[in-house]
Amino acid sequence: MNENRPVWASESFWKKVAVWVTAGSFVILIFLTFDSISQITAGGSRVAAYTVINKKVTYRFDKTKNRYQPVILDQDEPLFGQMLDEKQAYELVNLGKLTIQAKNCMNCHTLLGNGAYYAPDLTKAWLDQGWGTAASREMLMLQFLQNPGKYARTYGTNRKMPQLGITEKEAKGIIAYLKWMSTIDTNGFPNNFTAIDAEED
Amino acid sequence: MIEPVALADFFMSFFTAALIILTAVVYVALYTWAEVKHKRLVKYASWFVYAALIGCVLLFSRIMHLNGYWQILSVLMALGYWWMPRLILRLCVATHEEDAG
Amino acid sequence: MSSQAINSSVSKVIRPLSMDKLNGGQKLAVHYFTVAMILFMAQLLFGLLAGMQYLMPDFLYNTLDFNVNRMVHINAMIVWMLYGFIGSIYWFLEDESGVEIVGLKWGKIAFWVLTVAVTIVVLVYLLVQTGSGTKSSIWLINEGREYIEAPRWADIGIVAVVLVFFYNVAATFSKGKWSGIAGVLTLDLVALAGLYIAGMFYTTNISVDQYWWWWVIHLWVEATWEVLVGCIMAWSLMTLLGVRRKIVQTWLYIEVALMFGSGILGLGHHYFWIGTPEYWLTIGGFFSALEPIPLVAMVVHSIYDSGVHHFKTRNHPAFAWIIAHAFGNFFGAGVWGFMHTLPQINLYTHGTQWTASHGHLAFFGAYATINIAFFYLAVQKMRGDCWMGGNMPDNGWKWKAAMVLLNLGVVGMTVALLIAGYEQSFIERAVEGSTWGGYFAAQSHPWFIQAMVWRMVFGVMTFIGGILLFWDLLTIGKYEPRPAVGVSQ
Repeated sequence: MNENRPVWASESFWKKVAVWVTAGSFVILIFLTFDSISQITAGGSRVAAYTVINKKVTYRFDKTKNRYQPVILDQDEPLFGQMLDEKQAYELVNLGKLTIQAKNCMNCHTLLGNGAYYAPDLTKAWLDQGWGTAASREMLMLQFLQNPGKYARTYGTNRKMPQLGITEKEAKGIIAYLKWMSTIDTNGFPNNFTAIDAEED
Repeated sequence: MIEPVALADFFMSFFTAALIILTAVVYVALYTWAEVKHKRLVKYASWFVYAALIGCVLLFSRIMHLNGYWQILSVLMALGYWWMPRLILRLCVATHEEDAG
Repeated sequence: MSSQAINSSVSKVIRPLSMDKLNGGQKLAVHYFTVAMILFMAQLLFGLLAGMQYLMPDFLYNTLDFNVNRMVHINAMIVWMLYGFIGSIYWFLEDESGVEIVGLKWGKIAFWVLTVAVTIVVLVYLLVQTGSGTKSSIWLINEGREYIEAPRWADIGIVAVVLVFFYNVAATFSKGKWSGIAGVLTLDLVALAGLYIAGMFYTTNISVDQYWWWWVIHLWVEATWEVLVGCIMAWSLMTLLGVRRKIVQTWLYIEVALMFGSGILGLGHHYFWIGTPEYWLTIGGFFSALEPIPLVAMVVHSIYDSGVHHFKTRNHPAFAWIIAHAFGNFFGAGVWGFMHTLPQINLYTHGTQWTASHGHLAFFGAYATINIAFFYLAVQKMRGDCWMGGNMPDNGWKWKAAMVLLNLGVVGMTVALLIAGYEQSFIERAVEGSTWGGYFAAQSHPWFIQAMVWRMVFGVMTFIGGILLFWDLLTIGKYEPRPAVGVSQ
């Protein structure tokens, strides 16, 4: 029964290797997860607190980092003209997230580049030049979300967003969500993006 | 941390990446075949394909801007594709030893 | 061996598709396979509808919108593949453990619970579609997170069913004999179920949301599923080709080491752009480059084997699908994966049709093929171990045509989507900087539009292939007088 297999070719050796490699990789992953989560918690170093929706935000090329970077300007720009405290801001953004999930946005759009490819990426939707000017943006977004068939933005493709029955309150939540999401530090994704009011800066 | 691919190199970035995997597999296949069947000519052919693989890795590394510590990746690919089939084949022979006996 | 088959080489015999010779686990497996095939057809059908909407945006607009079709398309895929895997494991559980399945009754109940739940979920997807922005929508209608859209109540049901399945597997192996395969399989199922729970919570923060979401998606598809397939393949190699257990199990462990060694931290290639720290660019890039190693090992081993041994297979369709698996996995995961995996290029390809191209070929090559192969093994046994080698009564045209149509269809879609993805990443992402204007400019480009037409053509081809496959699985071996020749080397 005893074979002339060397140790490094034996079943028991590879069993141990498999266990150690798996366990080792997993332990490293856990360690990195703790570190990553601490950085991407809202209010952490890479993901802004929800009150960021009270501020003017933009996206610019950062020469030292050699990539694009969201910028939170020291200038108030309250959503719908209303400064929100921490709790109110969280509630509005949270309503946006719940609506985005309940309306299944991710199966047409991408968020942070993940989702489906039938409709535009929403990562920087708040900063998109398609809204014309920063002044008209909130109104246009509100109209569009509540009645996407009528205010369709298809750029000649006829690909319209369906009527999803989004209420005004939910639409405001979604807009808050998009504004907050645009401030997440995504390591320079998307590249080469020109924000809506880039010239003003 | 990274220097993205230049616009002009777009196509070549995909092309060389695909070629790396394809030449690697052809090399690995030829190498194994040469070893199992003791074919000298096939062995020379495998070296030729490996040279092509190295060429692809070099081009790929330049296009992808694998500078600084990213160069480790280029070296890993070059050495890895050379040594992996040797190690795996030794494992094959060793694990199947009882069959022959 | 069926004596009836020998005696009647002249008159036409009919072999019934029967469960008589199957053991308990195999009977349950057939249930799983049947639902898997139905869901596979649903996947193809809803893929066609979604693909059609790229060409005709008004098609079913406000009735059955793209998001609904696409959700059913990808959910049906995940679920039919899981049904296939679970079925395959039930299929070999009694043979591998040497005893009857412990608690099979519960396994049967779990099957029906799962199937009823899946039916309700799909009906709600189709009829209710979306809800208001409240937690109850997420609990009852749709979670709105790609691939794991199933509402929370169904999540809990799925976990409960998986626990029953796990109990069947673990208890049966404990009662019978524990093998290397049993050990790997049991631990892998623990990981599979545990990871699903990582996707079962709501959070406002999308970065945190996607961080855990990838744990489910990536660590399922690029780690635990692969090992599951490894276990199924290991058992198949032993029983079908007579490879010795010691060899098979050693290589199963080697494969686990390679897959988990590259796959677990390969998770990093999904953490480039979702808000996670910059070190993931490096980790993801390096470990992605390691992911072809298992493929290299496979190539070396298969050439070594074909040079040293001479295997004969008694099931040509299954064997052909396993070869399709090898090629599909190599191109889909290997070539297509590596082309856009490094952050230097993924910055542009991320979230474009590139991903769709890679996804189609990789899922088909790695998982659909292997399930189809197993369906053929099951059907052979149900036809009383009939001959499934060359010279079938009708020349085996159905399985061959289905094979050609399905493979050509998927490869065609993959290439079409590759062209679309190339154009999209170039124009929308690199030149226009991912604005909405850039997005639609890319969608209106002739390359993109033509690619979508071709995708549709190949999609229809795939669908026809699927129908043929279904028909063939129901009829193959029906008029085959010869019994299968036993395992031989």
